[in-house]
Amino acid sequence: MNLSLSDDGQRGSSSARTLSAGAETSGEGGPVRANRPLHVTWLVARREIRLRAKARTFVITTAILLIAVALAVSLPAILAGKSKPDRIGVVGGTTATISGIITEAGRLSGGQAVAVSEPSLAAAETALRGGDLSAVLVPNSKIIVKQVPLGGVSGSVQTLAQLAGLAKLIQAVPGAASAVAHGVTLPVTGLEKPSTSLSARLTGLFTVVIIWVLISVYGSQIALGIGEEKSSRVVEVLLSTVRPVQLLIGKVLGIGLLALAQAGGMLIVFIVAGFASGSSLVHGAELGVVIAGGVFIVLGYAFYCTAFAAAGSLVSRQSDVNSTILPVQLPLILAYALSYTVIYANGANTFFRVLGFLPPTAPIAMPVLYAAGDVPAWQVAVAAVLCAAGTVWMARVATAIYSNSILRTGPRISFRQAIKESRKA
Amino acid sequence: MELELDGLCRRYGTVTALDGLTFGVPAGQVFGFLGPNGAGKTTAMRAIFGVTALDAGEIRWRGKPVGEAARRTFGYMPEERGLYPAMALFDQVEYFAQLHGMDGPAAKKAAWYWIDRLGLSGRGRTRVDALSHGNQQRAQLAVALVHDPELLVLDEPFSGLDPAGIDDMSAILAERAAAGVTVLFSSHQLDLVEGLCEAVAIIYQGRLVVSGLVADLRRGDRPRLAVRVAGDRTGAWSAVLSSSVGTVDSMRSDGTAEISLTRTADSQAILDLARAAGPVEHFAYEDRSLSEVFRQATGASVGQAEAEHAAAARATGVATGAEL
Repeated sequence: MNLSLSDDGQRGSSSARTLSAGAETSGEGGPVRANRPLHVTWLVARREIRLRAKARTFVITTAILLIAVALAVSLPAILAGKSKPDRIGVVGGTTATISGIITEAGRLSGGQAVAVSEPSLAAAETALRGGDLSAVLVPNSKIIVKQVPLGGVSGSVQTLAQLAGLAKLIQAVPGAASAVAHGVTLPVTGLEKPSTSLSARLTGLFTVVIIWVLISVYGSQIALGIGEEKSSRVVEVLLSTVRPVQLLIGKVLGIGLLALAQAGGMLIVFIVAGFASGSSLVHGAELGVVIAGGVFIVLGYAFYCTAFAAAGSLVSRQSDVNSTILPVQLPLILAYALSYTVIYANGANTFFRVLGFLPPTAPIAMPVLYAAGDVPAWQVAVAAVLCAAGTVWMARVATAIYSNSILRTGPRISFRQAIKESRKA
Repeated sequence: MELELDGLCRRYGTVTALDGLTFGVPAGQVFGFLGPNGAGKTTAMRAIFGVTALDAGEIRWRGKPVGEAARRTFGYMPEERGLYPAMALFDQVEYFAQLHGMDGPAAKKAAWYWIDRLGLSGRGRTRVDALSHGNQQRAQLAVALVHDPELLVLDEPFSGLDPAGIDDMSAILAERAAAGVTVLFSSHQLDLVEGLCEAVAIIYQGRLVVSGLVADLRRGDRPRLAVRVAGDRTGAWSAVLSSSVGTVDSMRSDGTAEISLTRTADSQAILDLARAAGPVEHFAYEDRSLSEVFRQATGASVGQAEAEHAAAARATGVATGAEL
C-alpha cells in the first residue's frame, strides 16, 4: 500500500479542514438537526433506489415485465379483431331484413357478424353449446347466449339486441318508427346460470400475481441486501454512525418505493395498452377489485418487508439467505397456491375465507375473495385493518431480531434462537 | 484527555472480554492500543461506537458521555474491513460522508479529495470489489477519514500491510495527529508498532496493564545497560555484580548481559568490573521492547497469552471480540 504522502502533509490536512468546515459547524457537539434521524433514513433509502435502479438486471426485468403486461393486455384484443365474424343463428331461417340487421349490428359494434339459418330452436341451442354460434336470435322474441356475463352482454350481441328490438317494435306498432328514439331492446337470456363477471376474476388474478411477484421478488432483495451488508462486514462501519432501526427502515423504504414504482408502471401500461387495443380487460376491470388490490399490495409489502429483513440478518453468508427466507414465504405460497382454486371455482371454502382474515395470508387471499364476489367490501376493510395491526406487530418483532442478529457472525442463527435472544436483549 | 474509557466491563457468557478497562487518550498523539489477541481491544473499540453494548462502565468524549452527535465526528476502521462490494468507490466514500452529516456538495468534494489523496485517482468509478486488495485497504481508510473526524479509531490498521504500506499508514496517522485529531489504533504486534506511536495503553485479559509514553515505558523504572566482554560468550564476568548495583535480566547468545540498574548504581563502576574481565566490546543504555514490558508486567509472553486465549476459546466454544 503506497499512500503517497510525498506532498507536504500539513497543506493536505489544512485543506481537508477547510472543505469540511461547513459540516463541522452543524455537526459536532452542536445542536443536532431535528430531522437528522429521518435524513439518515432517507440517505439509506436513496442509496438503495439509486444503486438498484441503475443496475442492468433491474432495467431489463422492468422492461420485460412492462412488455409482458402490454402483450397480455393487448394481444387477445388484437387477435380477436382479426378473427372470424360472430356467427348469429336465426331460428326458423333468415331473411334479408334480419340478415341486414345482424350485419349492421356487427358493423356498429366495431366487428363483424353474419347470420346463419337454424332449422329449430333445439338445433340452434346445440350449436350454441358447441361454440359454433356466438348467439341465437329468435326473431321478435329474444336472444340467447351461452352464458350472460355479470355485467351484461357486450359487442355485436348487445347491438343486435337493440336493433332487433327496434325491428320488432316497428313491425308491431304502426308509426313506431317515429318513436325509435326511446330505444327498445330484446331480452337476452343464458342457457347456463350467470357467472361472476369473468373480467372481475381476471382482474383479481392479475392483482394476485402482481402482489405475489412483488412481495417475493422485492422481499428476497431485502434479505439478500442485508445478507450482503452482513457478509461484507460493511454493516459495522454503517452502525458506527447509523442506528439499526434507521438502516432497516431506510432499506425497506427504498426497495419498497422501487417496487411501488414498478407496480405503478405496470398499471399504467395495463391501462394505456388496454385502451389502445380496446381490450375488454380494461373496460371490464372492476374498480373495487383494483382498489382492494392496491391496498393489499402496500399492506402485504409492509407486513413482509421487515420479516424478510429479519431473515436476512440471520445469515453470515449471502448464499444462506434462500434457506432463511423460506419460513417467511410459506404463508404466501400457501395463499397463492390456493387462490387459483377460488378463481376457477364458484364459491370459496371456509378455510380460504379464514386465510382472508389472517394478516400473513390476507394480502393475497382477500383480493381473491373480493374479486370472486365471495366477501362484501366491509369484510375487506376489516381484513385490511387486521393486516395493518399485524404489520405493526411484525415490525416490532422483526426489528428486535434484526438489531440483535445483524452484528453476529459465525453459523447461521435459527429463528427460534433469534427470537429468544431478542426478547432477552 | 479527549477520550476516556472508564471501567468498561463486558461478558460473553462465561468469557470476560472487558474487566474494568480504564485509560485515557490525549489529542494530538498517535496512541497505540496494544495487547495480545483476545485481550479485549476490538470489544473496547466497538464499545466506543456503541456497536457493542457494555455491561458496565462509561466512555466519555471531551468530558461528556459519548452519544450519537459525538459519534458522527468519529472515524472508524473496523478490524474486519467492510465496504459495499458492488458500489463504485466514489459513491461509497460520498455516501459515508453524508451519513456523517456532510451536505451534498461538501461530501462530493471531500470524497474526491481523499480518493486523490490516498492514491486512488482514476478509480472513483470502479466497483470496490474490482479494486486490488491494497486499494480496498485505502478505500476503507478513505471512508474513515472522509468526514474529517476529530477522533480516528482504527482496529489493526497495520495488519496485512507490507513494510512500505506500514510506513504510509503510519505517516497518515502522524499527519492526522499533528492536525489535532485524536488517533487511537490497535495492534497485537507490540514490537512492530513501538516506533509508530508516541503513547500506548497495553491491556491483557480485559484490564489495563500499563499506559504511558512509549519512551518512558521502554526505559522503565530501572535503566537497562547492555554489556559484552570480548571472548566471554556466557557473560561469566557479570557473576560478580551485587544486587545493590543491578540484576542480570537475561543473557543474549553472543554473551551480552542485559542488566537492570538500581537507582543508586554507578555505571562506571560496572564498566570497570567488565574491563577487569577483558576488553569491553559493547557498553550501552538500551530500551526494552514493548513485548518485554508486557512480559515483565504480566508474567506471560505475548505468544503464551495468545495461545491461552485460543485454547480457552476452543474449550468454551464462546467467541468474543472480532468473532462476535
